[in-house]
Amino acid sequence: MSIPQDLFYAKTHEWVSFEEGVATVGITDFAQSQLSDLTFVELPEVGAEFAAGDEAAVVESVKAAADVYAPIAGEVIEINEALEDAPELINNDPFGKGWLFKLKANDESELDRLLDADSYDELCPAD
Amino acid sequence: MAWSVRFSDPVPYLKGLEMQHRLLAARQADTIPDTVLLLQHAPVITLGNRGRDNYLLKTPEEYQALGIELYHAERGGDVTCHAPGQWVLYPIIRLGANGGDSHSYLENLEEIALQTLADFGIEGFRRAGKSGAWTTAGKVAAIGFRLKRWVSFHGMSFNVKNDLSLFQTIVPCGLEGEPVASMKTLLSDKTPEMKEVGDALLEHFSKICARKLDCFEADEPLPPKLATLLFEANAK
Repeated sequence: MSIPQDLFYAKTHEWVSFEEGVATVGITDFAQSQLSDLTFVELPEVGAEFAAGDEAAVVESVKAAADVYAPIAGEVIEINEALEDAPELINNDPFGKGWLFKLKANDESELDRLLDADSYDELCPAD
Repeated sequence: MAWSVRFSDPVPYLKGLEMQHRLLAARQADTIPDTVLLLQHAPVITLGNRGRDNYLLKTPEEYQALGIELYHAERGGDVTCHAPGQWVLYPIIRLGANGGDSHSYLENLEEIALQTLADFGIEGFRRAGKSGAWTTAGKVAAIGFRLKRWVSFHGMSFNVKNDLSLFQTIVPCGLEGEPVASMKTLLSDKTPEMKEVGDALLEHFSKICARKLDCFEADEPLPPKLATLLFEANAK
């Protein structure tokens, strides 16, 4: 199970990469593997505002649907429109082309509440 | 430690859904352990989260006239139906650090169904691209679940000896031309009792999902917290 070292993680299996006030959010390799082949993604609207922990998106596979939560508070400034036609990008490249949305962060200090890779690893089952 | 609760009498769909929602909130808040419900529903047809009702072959009025309830469920998966004689397994469990969760939950549910079939001498198998548990006579187990804060609810239905004619009023799981079967289709008068099959489903759940079960019957004494969540509509 891949867990990149340079990202932040939420207990609900989202990852965050943070650069110049903007958080790119996706779901982890563990999350995608539990859901199997994704067939549909319901993304937020650009301009939507979330508090940390708000339901922000839904990812759905043939037999499963899972809510995705905003790891930190902010305004959605971009969504990954490629997922509309190719939700499998999340399965194939969860930490890259499978990103879900970008948030303009309200408060960078909220990143402190997220987990680092080693702490997140402990939340995932051992193979 | 996890709990399981088996209901001997059919549970109306909405009542089952409300129980699941209360257990879900309690599990998310960590006030109860993982909890598995094993029950049978009164006749009902349910649509999945994306709700494609073109797989319904009758109008809502016609279903009503037949005494069949119709609900939109928030689970994944497509249209299916439930009726007495079919076990429904609703594990309200947090997926994550548990060792049994290193496989995908979908595969675990399929494996529970396949091993249960094997216990009674039925060879079940997976089919690529068509989830669930299949036999030479058709699909016996259907799966659809939802994760909220990584606690799963809804789950799997497993046909033991339910009236399959209900499935003829829908396109099950949106798979056209694919037959649905039950254990009875394959075993006829050698079909085991519901209780035996229920025992097997719980036993395989426990092994495959790696959760040791404290097993309860709904009509016998329950831990007070669990009884409150199951039976008190106003429980938080």
